[in-house]
Amino acid sequence: MILDWLLPTLILTLLVLAGIGAVRRMNMWRAGQAEKVDIIAGLLAMPKRYLHDLHHVVERDKYMSRTHVATGGGFVLAMALVILVHLIGIESKVLSWMLLGALSMMFCGAVFVFKRRRNPPSRLSKGPWMRLPKNLLIFSVTFFVLTLPAAGVLPASFTLGVMGQWFLTLVLSALVLMSLSEMLFGMTWGGPMKHAFAGALHLAFHRRPERFGGGRSTGLKPVDLEDNALASGKVLGVAKPSDFKWNQLLGFDACVQCGRCEAMCPAFAAGQPLNPKKLIQDMVVGFAGGTDEHYAGSRYPDKAVEGKAVGEAKGGVDHIITDGLINPETLWSCTTCRACVEECPMMIEHVDAIVDMRRFLTLEKGETPNKGAEILDNIIATDNPNGYAPASRTHWAADQNLNLMKDVKKAEVLFWVSDGAFDMRSQRILRSFVTLLKAANVDVAILGDEERDSGDVARRLGDDATFQSLAKRNLATLGQYEFKTLVTTDPHAFHCLKNEYGDFGSDALEGVDVLHHTTFLNQLIKAGRLQVEGFKGGKVTYHDPCYLGRYNGEYEAPRELLASLGIEIEEMERSGYRSRCCGGGGGAPITDIPGERRIADMRMEDVVSTGAEMVAVGCQQCTAMLEGVVEPRPVVKDIAEILASQLIEVHS
Amino acid sequence: MLPDVKVFSLLSIGRHPQSGRARRAEQDARAVELGLTLVGRDLNLVHAGSAQQDDSVLRQYAGMGLPALTLLEQEENADILPSLAKFLQNNQAGIVLMGVRAESGESSGMLPYLLAEKLGWPIVSRIADIVDIKEGVADVLLALPRGQRRAVQVALPFIATLDNAASAPRQTAYGSGLRAKIEVVSSESTVDDLTLNWQVSPAKPRPKRMKVVKAKTAADRFKAATAKLAGGGGQVLKEGTPAEKAQAIFDLLLEEKVIR
Amino acid sequence: MTDSFPQILRRDPRAEWIARNRLHPLHDSVMAANGAEVRGPSGLLRKNPHVIGFIGPNGIKRIDRANTSSGLMAGKKRSSTTQDVELPLHQVIDPTGYIVVVPDMVGGRLTTHDKDILGLGHSLIKEYADNMAVVAVCFGESKETQFELAGVDRLIHLSSAEYEGFSPEARLAALQHIHQIYQPKHWLFPDSINGGTDLASRLSARIGERAAAQAWQVSIAQTVCRGASASLDIKRETPRILMLLEECGNAINETRHEVLPLTLDRFEMTDTRIEDNGLVDVDPNAVPLAEAEFILSAGNGIHNWEQFHACAKALGATEGASRVAVDDGFMPRARQVGASGTWVTAQVYLAVGISGAIQHMQGIGQCDKVIAINTDAGCDMVKRADLAVIGDSEEVLQALMALANERKGVLLDDALPKEENHVA
Repeated sequence: MILDWLLPTLILTLLVLAGIGAVRRMNMWRAGQAEKVDIIAGLLAMPKRYLHDLHHVVERDKYMSRTHVATGGGFVLAMALVILVHLIGIESKVLSWMLLGALSMMFCGAVFVFKRRRNPPSRLSKGPWMRLPKNLLIFSVTFFVLTLPAAGVLPASFTLGVMGQWFLTLVLSALVLMSLSEMLFGMTWGGPMKHAFAGALHLAFHRRPERFGGGRSTGLKPVDLEDNALASGKVLGVAKPSDFKWNQLLGFDACVQCGRCEAMCPAFAAGQPLNPKKLIQDMVVGFAGGTDEHYAGSRYPDKAVEGKAVGEAKGGVDHIITDGLINPETLWSCTTCRACVEECPMMIEHVDAIVDMRRFLTLEKGETPNKGAEILDNIIATDNPNGYAPASRTHWAADQNLNLMKDVKKAEVLFWVSDGAFDMRSQRILRSFVTLLKAANVDVAILGDEERDSGDVARRLGDDATFQSLAKRNLATLGQYEFKTLVTTDPHAFHCLKNEYGDFGSDALEGVDVLHHTTFLNQLIKAGRLQVEGFKGGKVTYHDPCYLGRYNGEYEAPRELLASLGIEIEEMERSGYRSRCCGGGGGAPITDIPGERRIADMRMEDVVSTGAEMVAVGCQQCTAMLEGVVEPRPVVKDIAEILASQLIEVHS
Repeated sequence: MLPDVKVFSLLSIGRHPQSGRARRAEQDARAVELGLTLVGRDLNLVHAGSAQQDDSVLRQYAGMGLPALTLLEQEENADILPSLAKFLQNNQAGIVLMGVRAESGESSGMLPYLLAEKLGWPIVSRIADIVDIKEGVADVLLALPRGQRRAVQVALPFIATLDNAASAPRQTAYGSGLRAKIEVVSSESTVDDLTLNWQVSPAKPRPKRMKVVKAKTAADRFKAATAKLAGGGGQVLKEGTPAEKAQAIFDLLLEEKVIR
Repeated sequence: MTDSFPQILRRDPRAEWIARNRLHPLHDSVMAANGAEVRGPSGLLRKNPHVIGFIGPNGIKRIDRANTSSGLMAGKKRSSTTQDVELPLHQVIDPTGYIVVVPDMVGGRLTTHDKDILGLGHSLIKEYADNMAVVAVCFGESKETQFELAGVDRLIHLSSAEYEGFSPEARLAALQHIHQIYQPKHWLFPDSINGGTDLASRLSARIGERAAAQAWQVSIAQTVCRGASASLDIKRETPRILMLLEECGNAINETRHEVLPLTLDRFEMTDTRIEDNGLVDVDPNAVPLAEAEFILSAGNGIHNWEQFHACAKALGATEGASRVAVDDGFMPRARQVGASGTWVTAQVYLAVGISGAIQHMQGIGQCDKVIAINTDAGCDMVKRADLAVIGDSEEVLQALMALANERKGVLLDDALPKEENHVA
């Protein structure tokens, strides 16, 4: 029978082609910058990362996770067996039956994929992705039929007549060719199945291996200023796709275009010209070359900014990305809220990529939009974003009787005040917190005028030089004093101090508990050091600040604090790890890219829909953004303020 | 682009008004900005001063998009005028741009005038823009108070100082600033001995002039002492027609002379 | 200014006597008429704190308990007749030297800055204890009528065409000529953006005299100047040429001066290389917000944006906006006033429909006069405002626009030619 030799030939040919494609694809990734990765350990850890960490994310959508297990698992198993049974030709009934089983499982999964694709939600990409379920079905059915004789279900030589045999052979070969092209050739030559190949390797060589196994890695990686700035031909940040690390490029290739990031992105919802999915696809276009003509998902919202039609965005591995591939406005729309990263089943790092490209725009081109340049100049010259006199940093505390570290040298707790010290609204939060600290008799001191901006804004705006300079100077100051705990009311400073200052070789924070004030206050309440009375106001909801929640995993302490006041939180639909950003992060209020609506307004709608009269927050930036929504609206209060108002003064 | 005119922007080390830290001087940065819009990367940047350990401020200027700048090396306390004049003359400068006043040192604002006198060139001070250069004559816009402008023509070569009304300087890019070449030209220093016996101290706050009441009678003095100060606690108009309310506002506007 | 002679309080001794004497039969009625003190039903004296007292200079209510009778005099004032007092004439006969002041003469009149400097000239002469005269050098047309009250002993008025407009070269030549002829002891210039600094610097460079700039404390021996963007005080010998900051001296106010003209003979002009092409029309909205002296600012309460823009145009005001108005897309971001927008320094800030978020109030902290138009009398902006108008902004703006246009019409009718000179 012709099929006896045609089938292995077809499989072999496509396997070889897939192999060539794989080498070619790997070479594309290798255009990126070197990055040390433990290859062996990564590969060994890969199955666990896939089964555990990736599925942990996919599990959020039960339908999809089961579908994927059936389809993906079925396919991997089936493909391995196809090679054994049909390519190598091992004649074993057991194997054939196993193959039939795997194919049936895959078939069932594929049916659900097919069902979902009949009326797909807008976040899903169409185009080639629409033919994938059909090819999955064809693959499973065709090989099922082809395996039947091997399993002994059909006699090896059942007769159909010559014409019939020819016809059957022809049809089966065509189907085999079709499905294998998709499943093997497409896998390494840029079809939808690419996600399986690149995704598996991406999991193995992920740039943040700490994220697997329940860990957290959210701090941005520092720019190597010494080497990169002076070497010729090198730039700070990412100008071209080849300036990304190789495993970042690999990560872009892992994208399944499921659009979960798009559904979560606050900037996309606000009509700002950012769509995380399209951004990642554009990165792929960038390093693979060509245009985005094959992209079939939602585009960047372009009501406010002149957008490009599909096919107009051109890129190449050595082309400047912001020069024809994407608009800088896309990069500056991001609030760095990490909702996309949190949601991505492939654990792609969108925020890293965006900040990398921003670094090039700021450090090499000097093109930070709107007030960006002014803010950065201020930070450089005065260590605070609004250019206030550094000597006025402690004015807010003139009546607070706080110890200065300069005087006491040593304290139990160091209160990192952050730039809220200059803002009259934030000062209310600071004062409330100090009231609580005093009520609990905490041995606390502040740095006073020695404190500087944490560098958060500078870093998110791409000015890593200024961030590093601030970080080093802050660390030098912190290193002079002795304290066990560092507390701050500003989640942004908290994140920098806790997760990003570690890269600068200082032991100033070694052994120090860096805490957000909600965590610290929760400890005080639990230890009985603060007496509070029940809250008798109306309904209260809680807004998770991105830099506290997603960046640092602190979802519980604020909720426990509110519970200690007898408040039952009316949770918003999007809360916890899915909390929607207030629009205040990542320098977004500074770069101020226009959209159709404001992110803060949308978040306030979330608040209003719970019927709450007050929204509790744990971040001065969120307070400012949410309070910026036009009244009437629920009251916005920091948890420290709520707690301070319910404080029972105990006179000793 | 006017390739046949050599444009020089003079740079000084600025001082941030709040922190006192060295920075790009605001007006000098505007001089660089104007130079860049006139001749692009053909602009020449010159700083006369001591070669410092920390050249980050000079690099901030270069980071605006220039591959190199010239440092005329001078001793501390030197009078930079002679060497600067010589340098500009030797390099056939056509237009020399700088800020009105330095943000540090004596900041008398005399340097541009002394340069002009020494070189025998015309000087226009507080310009907002150079609109056009044709046949050795430049069309210049002077910045007047309250945002007003005056059009003036000046013959090349000339010196111009930039007002804060000139276009704001572009952002400085750290990376390109870091890579910029600083060409150090050693030049003779002339010590400014007049400044040696000056006493310099941090600025004392100036007393606000009291409102002097020329009172002829006791009643006058009583009234001056007890009368409500203007502005303390505002007047609130709730009643009346819109026209009356508008009249009240309009009267205040006239009184404040913002309507002319 | 209102008339300088205030109304004299007229006492009514009889009423005061009745007020003091609680047993007087008319006491109750007199006190009741005053409204301050009433005998309550139990026979106790009741003071109504709302009607007694007066508002003190700090805006705090003061009750004068020592003198119950003063309240009775309210409303019994008689306006006094005004009398002009002839100030003594300060004469300088055959001066031994001169101190030359070159005032800015903005709009053809002496500015307060100019007057301070003229006053400083006289205080220097007093210190020298010499028979010197203060000379004012004025260029272009002068509308000043009170030179004699400002302390001008001698006046050099150069009004020919070559000094009109922007003419630094011609003016410098004149000053140089004056320098040769009169050999002034000092040259005093206002250190100002109105041309004083420019002329002083030109003269200083031309005659090779090192000037002191930003001087604010001057005696004949020593001068204190600001340096390094006003962060340093430099104490030095008083040079011949001084550029003086505002309030460097006290204006003359108790003497009249002769204002004798000094003439200059003809002298040769150098050829000019700077040519004045006149003033350029500037749109008030092109003025940077931070510099603008009159801002009409719009907030959430504005619904008719066309009218708002028209009103700003009619008033010649620079437009500002609150954050909400910018966020809603009605105004560009560059127009935003406040802590996160522009910090403004306007002399008059007219806030329409802005309730006054704390960040906004921070941004207008340096404004001199704040006017609010708002529907909510309790909002923070109204509390901050020097004048607040409660009502519909659209109607008030309409009326305001009408007033502005009316005034423009008047100006166009009779003052147009003058206005042009004023500018030059």
